[in-house]
Amino acid sequence: MGTMILIVIAVIALGWSFYKDKKKTKESIILASKLFKNTFSEVFFLMSLIALLLAWIPQSLIKTILGNPNELLSIAFGASIGTITIIPAFVAFPLAGSLLKSGSNLVAIAAFLTTLTMVGFATMPIEIKYFGKKFTLIRNGISIIAAILIALGIGVIL
Amino acid sequence: MSLIKKHKLKVITLILYLITLIYNQDIFIKSIYTTGGYLKEMVQILPAVFIVSGLITVWVPKEIIIKNFGKGSGLKGKLISVFIGSISAGPIYAAFPVAFSLLNKGASISNIVIIISSWAVVKVPMMIVDAKFLGYSFMIARVILTIPAIMIIGYFTNKFVEKEDIKSKVDNDNRYEKYILEIENLLPKFNCGGCGYGNCNEYAKAIVMEEESIDKCSVMEDKSKTKIKDIVCKVNEKK
Repeated sequence: MGTMILIVIAVIALGWSFYKDKKKTKESIILASKLFKNTFSEVFFLMSLIALLLAWIPQSLIKTILGNPNELLSIAFGASIGTITIIPAFVAFPLAGSLLKSGSNLVAIAAFLTTLTMVGFATMPIEIKYFGKKFTLIRNGISIIAAILIALGIGVIL
Repeated sequence: MSLIKKHKLKVITLILYLITLIYNQDIFIKSIYTTGGYLKEMVQILPAVFIVSGLITVWVPKEIIIKNFGKGSGLKGKLISVFIGSISAGPIYAAFPVAFSLLNKGASISNIVIIISSWAVVKVPMMIVDAKFLGYSFMIARVILTIPAIMIIGYFTNKFVEKEDIKSKVDNDNRYEKYILEIENLLPKFNCGGCGYGNCNEYAKAIVMEEESIDKCSVMEDKSKTKIKDIVCKVNEKK
């Protein structure tokens, strides 16, 4: 759904731009293709590396780790697994659901889901390419802390 | 040596896949299958994202971005940033080019961080899946806590990082890319090599990046030369 909206917006904007000014449109397309060339292969190889990693690590192992009876420890584990990996949402949420059913801590799952999407060690090389090392390290660092706080907050609310 | 370094990631990935193929075909096939899924997502989302980023760079005036996303944009700017992030599609890496073009147009660092983070976490389709598997109260609690947390992350990143710290490779390439292109369009494009460079593009690059003289091309018309002079002036202002 969101993907379709994005594509429609891009096509409409491009059409409007072409109608208004052909030269500017050409310029923006050349810019876009440069960005694409700069990013695509790197993203692709990173993703295939993550796919390999996910295939090697069995889901049952993640379940055992997140099911740790010590709440604080399980938050730490949840946050670190979420930080290191990128799991697509359609895999992550069902996984989180089954984790919850099999007795994992809710807070650990919250930490896991938030770091999973917001913090990315795997995408760091791409982020560094755009924004430099300092920005990337600080943003990801603060996000990990925030994710843990969110998890603790959920523990308090629920 | 630099070639190996440049392709380090590719080499490592290929070697690991090869090892996996030898040791465990099941895992190999599973990984290829997952990679295919990722690739599908990338092909659907990335071209649109890059086109939008390119159009922002070329069309949107700096003043508008500064007014809505700049340092003085306040809470309104933050809310617009959350909104932009949450309606956009794709994983976090798709947010980088868009955020990058907004930053170059004068958006504040804190708003850039808000866009990137909410792009990753605050998503309507994701919330629906979240509620389905983990329950409504969990999903709502997570969203309510996440939005202020994202603004705090933005605030602190802004505190620690200066705009000058952000000088990436893409940045340097792209900031001048526009001018290089303009100059190349004015050059005769015979690629004759009379200027001492391999082709017109290389000469245009040298003019912008290394302050090469603009008198080296003997084929160019005088009219174009004046125009190039203007562009070089603009470039020097930026430097």
